[in-house]
Amino acid sequence: MSTPGISILEGKYMVTMDLFPQQSKEFNQIYEFYEYLKEGRFTTTKCKDCGSEPFPPRVMCPDCYSTNMEWIDWPTVGTVIDVTEEAVGVPLGFGKPPMIHALVDLDGKRTLFLRIINCNAGQLKSGDKVKLSVFDVDPVPQEVGREVVQIARVFYAFEPMK
Amino acid sequence: MDRNVCVIAGGMSKWGVRDGSQRDFFQEAAKACYDDNPLLNPKEIDGLLVASAYTERTSYQTHLAPLVAEYVGVKPKNICARVELLCASGSSAIILAFAMIKSGQADIVMVAGGEKLYTPQKWEVFYSELASVDHDWDGGQGLGLPPPVFAMVAKQHMLKYGTKKEHLGTVSVKNRRNSAKNPKAQFQTPVTMEEVMSGRMIVPPLTLYDCCPITDGAACLVLAAEDKAKDLTDKPLVYIRGTGQASVNNMSGNMPNWTTWEALKIAAHQAYSKAKVDPKEVNVAMTHDCFTISEIIEMEDLGFCEKGEGGFFVADGQNDFGGQVPTNTDGGLLGCGHPFGGTGIRQGMEVMRQLRGDAVQQVPNAMTGLTHNLSGFISAHTVLIYGREVA
Repeated sequence: MSTPGISILEGKYMVTMDLFPQQSKEFNQIYEFYEYLKEGRFTTTKCKDCGSEPFPPRVMCPDCYSTNMEWIDWPTVGTVIDVTEEAVGVPLGFGKPPMIHALVDLDGKRTLFLRIINCNAGQLKSGDKVKLSVFDVDPVPQEVGREVVQIARVFYAFEPMK
Repeated sequence: MDRNVCVIAGGMSKWGVRDGSQRDFFQEAAKACYDDNPLLNPKEIDGLLVASAYTERTSYQTHLAPLVAEYVGVKPKNICARVELLCASGSSAIILAFAMIKSGQADIVMVAGGEKLYTPQKWEVFYSELASVDHDWDGGQGLGLPPPVFAMVAKQHMLKYGTKKEHLGTVSVKNRRNSAKNPKAQFQTPVTMEEVMSGRMIVPPLTLYDCCPITDGAACLVLAAEDKAKDLTDKPLVYIRGTGQASVNNMSGNMPNWTTWEALKIAAHQAYSKAKVDPKEVNVAMTHDCFTISEIIEMEDLGFCEKGEGGFFVADGQNDFGGQVPTNTDGGLLGCGHPFGGTGIRQGMEVMRQLRGDAVQQVPNAMTGLTHNLSGFISAHTVLIYGREVA
C-alpha cells in the first residue's frame, strides 16, 4: 500500500501506524511490558499497597489508587475455553482468513479473548493448551531531534502447544 | 428547578451506502425533523448536541457541533458540543439534553447524530474499528470489527441455555420484515428463514443476516421543556421518564460475564427505577440488535423474560407485533443499518412515533417505550424510558 510523497513513512500508507500501540518510553509509560515481551515474558503491574494485579498494566492502581506499582510475571500458558474462526472482515495486516480467536483461561488470572496464530482452521478445541507467541510488527519512524529513528515494535498472540 | 422533558420532533436522512458527505446527511436529517413538526421554529432552539464517533477519522472533521449548527440553521446559546460513546453516542446526547432541560440550563435542545463511514477505500473502516475497543490491547489482537466477539457470545449462550441458530434467524426475519416497510432503512427487502439459515458464513455461528451492516446517515430529535412543548406541538406529548447508563469494564479480559451483561442490568435498573416502570409495562422497545444474539440477550437482561429464555421468547413471537413487547418495529440495526452516532436518535424517534400513535407500523395504544444501546466491547449500556405520562 504505497503512498508516494510522504517520505517519513517510507512509502507506507499512513494506516500502517494503526494496528499496534506506541511502545517507546517517549510515548508510553508502560513501555516495559513490551521490553519484557521481547524476552518472551507476559507481565502486568501489581500494586505493592493492596496486592491487586490489574490488567492491562497501569500507572495507578484502579482499586486503591496507589501509584506504588511493580512488574510481575504472569503465566504464558493458558487453557482454551472456546474458539471462533473469523471468515469475513479480517483487518488488513492480520493475515488471511480465517483469523482464529479463543477465549482463554490464563491459569486463573484472567479470561482473555486472544488471537491464535500458527494454527490451522478446525485444529483448536476446548481444553487445549495455548502459549504466548511474540512477533515483530512494523516499526515506527519516530522523530528524534532532526533524525528519524526506526523504533522496533513487537506484539503477541497465543499459539497451540505442540 | 426540576422540569418535565418532552420529545417534540424527529427525523432522519435515508440510511445506507450513501452518496454524499457527513454534512449532507445532517442537513437531510434536520430537514426531515423540521418537516415532522411545522410548529417548531428552529431559530428558537437554544442548544445543540451532536453525536458522531468517527467524524475525525472518516470525515476528517473535529469541532463538529458548530459546523452542524451552521449547516442546519440553528444558533445555540446554552450548549453546542459533540458527544461520543461510539454506538451509544446518540442516546448519550439525548440523556444530556434531557438533563440540561430538566435542570433549567436550556429550554429546547436539538440532538443530531450521524456518520459518513464509507470512504473511497472501503477497507479503511476495518482499521478505524481497531479504535473502538481498547486499541493497545484488544485492537492488537485484531479485534474491533465486532463479529468475533458476538460469535463467542452466541456460542457461549447456545452452550449454556440451549439457544438455537433458528432463534437467531427469527430476529433477522422480523427486523428485515420491519425495515422493508421503513423507506429510510438501509435494507428495503425482507428475508426468509431459508435465506437466513443459508447465509454466507461470517464467524460461526453468525452468518450474514445475523450481522448489522456499516451505514452512512444521520438522525435528529428535538427535546423541549414541558411548558414550551405544549405550545410547540399539536401531537400527543411524549415524555422522557428515566435514563440509565453503566459501564463495569472496557477491555475484554475484564468482562465479568459473556452471556449476562452486568452493565445492561445496572443501566436498566436505574432507568426503570427513575421512570417508575416495571419491565412488563413496556409496550414497545428499540434494543441494540447489532447482532441477532444481542437482541436475544437484551430481552433477558432488560427483564422482559427469564435469563436463558431469550431465544425461546423471540421464537414464540413475544417481541413481535401481537406479543409482549414488540421490538425494533422500524427494522432495528439489522434492517435500518447503524451509523453509530445516529442509531440512538433513530431509536428515540421511532419510540416517539409509537407513543404519539403515528408510527409506520403502529403498536396499538403504546403508552411506554424503551430504547437500549450497547457500545464498545459490550462495555457500556444505555437505557432510556419514554412515556405518554410523566413518571
